[in-house]
Amino acid sequence: MSAAAAVTVRRELVEPGLPVAQAAAPPTTPLDPQSREWLRSLRSVGAGRDAAVGRLHALLLRAARFEVARRRPMLPHLRGDDLDDVANQAADDALVSVLARLDSFRGASRFTTWAYKFALLEVAVKLRRRAWQGREVPLEPESWSLFSGSGLEPDEEAEQGELLAALQRGIEEALTKHQRRVLVALALNGVPIDVLAERLGTTRGALYKTLHDARRKLRRHLADLGLSLDSLEETDR
Amino acid sequence: MNRPELRQALRRLLGPSDPEIGCDECFEQLDRYVELELVGGDADSAIPGLRAHLAGCPACREEHESLRALVGGEQAL
Repeated sequence: MSAAAAVTVRRELVEPGLPVAQAAAPPTTPLDPQSREWLRSLRSVGAGRDAAVGRLHALLLRAARFEVARRRPMLPHLRGDDLDDVANQAADDALVSVLARLDSFRGASRFTTWAYKFALLEVAVKLRRRAWQGREVPLEPESWSLFSGSGLEPDEEAEQGELLAALQRGIEEALTKHQRRVLVALALNGVPIDVLAERLGTTRGALYKTLHDARRKLRRHLADLGLSLDSLEETDR
Repeated sequence: MNRPELRQALRRLLGPSDPEIGCDECFEQLDRYVELELVGGDADSAIPGLRAHLAGCPACREEHESLRALVGGEQAL
């Protein structure tokens, strides 16, 4: 890696959620024959291109149906027709995305792997949004009770109580109102990030940046109080 | 809540302690990362910060698992 690339990577690590254009680009590698053929046919004109677009749509639909099938056990409220609609809509939307971004494909993976991720993303976002359709998004703490001790030794319960009190104070005092709402919704109340982005009229990347900043502030708040999660984390590795 | 459950809840709240990339960069690099993983390459060295992001972002983690399962399943055929 060049020095300039290393600096770029470092900045990205410190500041997640930066626009992709500022991130380190993957190395451009020679295309494998299949990927080269995909690009050639999709950039051609006439019947050859139409046929390639048809093949690409079929590929994306297969990926979308794969993803729907994987998630189906967690979606008992959706009927088979609904799920097939989701797969078809996801494949259509992914096709538009892939065709619009053909020039950004650098051959860092096979073309099919690169294209698949668009279909999987579309399915995931659509299903997460459906699951939360008509539901209120909780932006205030609902889940502190989840942290309540049960079956703990007295010293563990005291330790847990101290940590929980510090966390609650940190959330109330160290974070901005926006950071607090985002952290609570995403990390405490389990609201999917796409759903929250849609409700707040923002992007997933921007929300994750806010979440990251809130988490960093909370960690610093705990550290200032002499509390650390290292021991808890180390025992789980 | 027992100790492992507490650890899990705290990790969800506080996220990864290691430096991480954001969601946009994760999506940008995910295909390369998955292929490196599937061939036994050192994906974490090649794309620093992505593994930590997956630990902190449930949505990206789901999409990583899906892409890995789809491409891995194809390779196994």
